[in-house]
Amino acid sequence: MRIGFLGAGKMAGAIMRGFIDSGVAEAKHIIASCPKQDHGLLEKITKLGVVTTHENGRVVKESNVVIVCTKPNVVRKVLTEVSSKVTRQNLIISVALGVTIKTMEKALPENTRVIRVMPNIPALVRMSASVYTLGNNVLDGDTDIVQKLLCSIGYCEEIHESLMDIATALSGSGPAYVFTVIQSLADGAVKMGMPRAQALRLAAQAVMGSAKLVIDSGEHPDSLKDDVCSPGGCTIYAMHSLERGGFRSSLIEAVEIATNRAKAIGES
Amino acid sequence: MAGRNTQKIEGKVGFLGAGKMASALAIGFISSGVVPANNILMSTASSEPEELKAKGVTHFVGNNVKVVEGSDIVIIAVKPHIVPLVVKEIAPHINIRKHIVVSIAAGYKLEYFEQAFACGTRVVRVMPNTPVLVSEGVSIVSLGSNCEAQVATQMKMLFSSVGVCEELPERLQDSVTGLAGSGPAYVFMMMDSLADGAVKMGVPRPLAIKLAAQTCLGSAKMLLETGKHPGQLKDEVCSPGGATICAVHKLEEAGFRSAIIDAVQASTLKARTLGE
Repeated sequence: MRIGFLGAGKMAGAIMRGFIDSGVAEAKHIIASCPKQDHGLLEKITKLGVVTTHENGRVVKESNVVIVCTKPNVVRKVLTEVSSKVTRQNLIISVALGVTIKTMEKALPENTRVIRVMPNIPALVRMSASVYTLGNNVLDGDTDIVQKLLCSIGYCEEIHESLMDIATALSGSGPAYVFTVIQSLADGAVKMGMPRAQALRLAAQAVMGSAKLVIDSGEHPDSLKDDVCSPGGCTIYAMHSLERGGFRSSLIEAVEIATNRAKAIGES
Repeated sequence: MAGRNTQKIEGKVGFLGAGKMASALAIGFISSGVVPANNILMSTASSEPEELKAKGVTHFVGNNVKVVEGSDIVIIAVKPHIVPLVVKEIAPHINIRKHIVVSIAAGYKLEYFEQAFACGTRVVRVMPNTPVLVSEGVSIVSLGSNCEAQVATQMKMLFSSVGVCEELPERLQDSVTGLAGSGPAYVFMMMDSLADGAVKMGVPRPLAIKLAAQTCLGSAKMLLETGKHPGQLKDEVCSPGGATICAVHKLEEAGFRSAIIDAVQASTLKARTLGE
């Protein structure tokens, strides 16, 4: 598979790294483009051994799968620019926030195979949570292609496009909420006298282990919480403090606000 | 649940105190068959004499000493501030081989009664909550140091006739007060508020109250019967993008969970200070 990236920023780099590390594509079969003024970004990914260019059209010509990783506000412009080079051999995958199937199909030639994906930053460690929606012109094997690519960088699921904004707010933005949780847990430990590096490592491991337990056990998270809270113990005291602080409500609201924002961006 | 208990208690059960709780317990014991009506001694000052008579109670006794002399199990069901007077009055008449003294008074520890009565007296502390009045109570039994295992069995037989009965160490009585003792008040507040909400949205009050109560009753029953985690049951009501999850968010925002945790804690701490 020859994979091309339009855009060479953080997400492109994360996904590229994931593909290479998992062996789903060799670095020399990956080509990425970005504007001349962002050549600093290209330097980073050149280290991976991928081919780089400033020509978007070249990326499309030399790839089967083209992953659109530009900033959302330039996606339409970039797609329009490369449209003449796009053929039925290409599978165009967008990971840009808020860019709909409709937008993509409108900017590209009729019958272009298009897939919309929302991955997240843990693609960098191949633990991404990705969702995808198929466009109207995909071929039978395209689901397999996108699943192979996304499974190489973590977990993936097909969703209805109407749920994309919610997925963006949840798994797309989610890492930011969790980074904040980890940092704050570490802050608490440091406040109580633990060295920072140790606090950070334990906080992150606690979060990672908890997430794995939810996924692997299939138990209800509140039930797992109960399992940790012995009567009169320190955990239940802490839980009460969190409840008083509106912890649950804050998170519900964060996802709601992010969803609405993703929606607004998509409509602008 | 009440009514299913067909084992019988040997001996006579006498009540000191004439209030609703005493009557409710007596009626519960009789209805379930655990104590025959003519084995029950009530005070002549009982608040529901007609109801008790209808249930077959014949022994209405004029003073506490006579109740004690005529009973094997003595249930102290007087108001808390009367307890010391009653204890002083009956102490000389307690027979350590014959009597089991059961106190349902809030805030009086087993130690208090063990010291007030003759050495070796079998004392039990039971905290029933108000829904024993409708045979859906929670009664927590704590045994004194002179009680043999059989006493626990007898107590559970008696108090299972008016709801759920569990034995717990005395040190957990205050915590259970916070939950099951005071709990009905919290639930009444919730039902009142549910009804208010419905009335605000156009439902007539009497219907709103009835539906609020049935909703609480049904939810409690689901929890008890399915054995599922309440969080799971909650999730099952919350369809994506639906009305319930909107409401749940409102409750979370308002600190609903935290308020209830605080309430149970406050009641527990207060019960502890009252007991000192």
